[in-house]
Amino acid sequence: MDTEALLAEIRAAVLDGEPSLVKSLTEKALEAGLPALTIVSEGLTEGIRSVGVEFQKGSYFLPDLVRGAQSMEIGLEVLQPLLTGAGEEMPTHARVVLGTVHGDLHSIGKNIVAAMLKASGFAVDDLGVNVPVEVFVEKVRETEAGFLGLSALLTTTVHQQEAVIKALEAAGLRSKVKVLLGGAPIDQDWADRVGADGFAPDAARAVEVARELAGIR
Amino acid sequence: MTKVYTRMGDGHAVEMTVDEIRADILAGTEDAADRGKIPPLSEGERDYLLDLFTFEGKIVGVVPGDEVVLTDDGSVNALYGAQSSSGVGVPISRESAIRVYERAFAMDTMEVGHPDYSFKPVKPIIALELQAMESVLHTTIIPMYYGAMPNLALYARPDGPFGNPADLLPMGKIDEARSAQEEAAEASTRDMIYVGKRMAEVGADGFNFDTTASAGDAEFLATLNAVEELARTTDLSIEVGMAAEFVLGMHGKVTYDGVRLAGLYPHQQVKLVEKAGAHIFGPVVNTNTRRSTAWNVSRAVTFVKACSEAATIPVHANVGIGVGGVPMCETPPTSMVTRASVAMVTIGRVDGL
Repeated sequence: MDTEALLAEIRAAVLDGEPSLVKSLTEKALEAGLPALTIVSEGLTEGIRSVGVEFQKGSYFLPDLVRGAQSMEIGLEVLQPLLTGAGEEMPTHARVVLGTVHGDLHSIGKNIVAAMLKASGFAVDDLGVNVPVEVFVEKVRETEAGFLGLSALLTTTVHQQEAVIKALEAAGLRSKVKVLLGGAPIDQDWADRVGADGFAPDAARAVEVARELAGIR
Repeated sequence: MTKVYTRMGDGHAVEMTVDEIRADILAGTEDAADRGKIPPLSEGERDYLLDLFTFEGKIVGVVPGDEVVLTDDGSVNALYGAQSSSGVGVPISRESAIRVYERAFAMDTMEVGHPDYSFKPVKPIIALELQAMESVLHTTIIPMYYGAMPNLALYARPDGPFGNPADLLPMGKIDEARSAQEEAAEASTRDMIYVGKRMAEVGADGFNFDTTASAGDAEFLATLNAVEELARTTDLSIEVGMAAEFVLGMHGKVTYDGVRLAGLYPHQQVKLVEKAGAHIFGPVVNTNTRRSTAWNVSRAVTFVKACSEAATIPVHANVGIGVGGVPMCETPPTSMVTRASVAMVTIGRVDGL
């Protein structure tokens, strides 16, 4: 099988959410001599991007999204030691600190965003739910993360997103981190009003926005 | 420029120009057409809506002869429920409230429903519910339904015995989440059939599956299977009302009659409801609180018109708090409820509300 056909199969297996098939195809691609980074960028990443497109079209749903992310992660697991061993860096685009704001216990959307970001090569520090303002600020300072993702599902907790942004400003960290907002009551107007850098209505779009802000194709 | 007093989707009062309302009506129908892959409203239909929303009178109505039949879901709650439950707290029983609706409000049909309003908790108190149904049947004339919600979420832990997909999905346990939903759906179908057959035995005229598919596609499947059995074995008039305009794919793969349930819009939902044997379909179109009522009503009737055209059974659109173009607030303004209702009848071509 030629290498382009192999990459196409990897993309299709991620799109179909077939983790074990992705694993075997990734191993096969390595045996065929494909560079690990090529498998990541032209196989796995393109596959998970297609999953996001299908989700936004309404033909894929939450289970498909999670399964796609799992498939990509398995492929990355196969490649990671080889990439490290060869002195190549894993294509971790940026470090993301993520959490649901104080007073809000909702985790589903935030967890799926975390899984999708990880599958797309981002390093994620998930702080969980009901995270106090100062914990977000401290984690951003400690990790020097390039992104901070703030989730809020309740109209009564969305103001915590604004509080975190103000606390970042007060701590002198605002210019060093891009703040992304998500959650059912959130929209672009709100993100603009509180001075966030981006907003995403779903996990697939969150990855796209993070990639755009990170300057990744 | 003249401003028109109208409402936003959250009930907030707002003044808009005629041009702004016209633009919102166009944008609303285009949004529905884009999402549902259905035709947008014609220019004439949009002009009709513009007249409706710029008319200065507070309340509007259909022309004589165009009145439609009313079914309900839990409307007695508006009398005896607390304000936080959108009621006015009149101290009467639900049975009395039903009689008031028949005799004072001239309702065409009514339903008995427990305040808990889900089939699962009705099962252990079925004797009380049968007694309530009998009592009401003996003292009313209009057709009497029994109504409740399938509410599949009550079958998942911690409320029920099956795994909770909302926990399992984020953990990546897709197969487990799907199996849990399939098992819960089977249990739910059994419960709905049990309640339906008992109600039929005491003489209920109809059975209303309300807020169907609130937990997604597996709940829709559970309901369709229950409808099929009740339609086959009882004389109940069966109504299926939806929870939202779009069936969520919490499972993603369940099918009925070879059709994947996830992602269906009202004009597609109704065909499966018909196939299962139901007699009335209640489409739901959700209200966007940040858009004007004109935008919401235009969008809602676009979906419902496509549904009515596809249907061979009566369509009774849900026109209540937060659905069918009606603002999402505890006591929706009559000005907007009547405009949404007229639009549903005149443009949406519904058989009932």
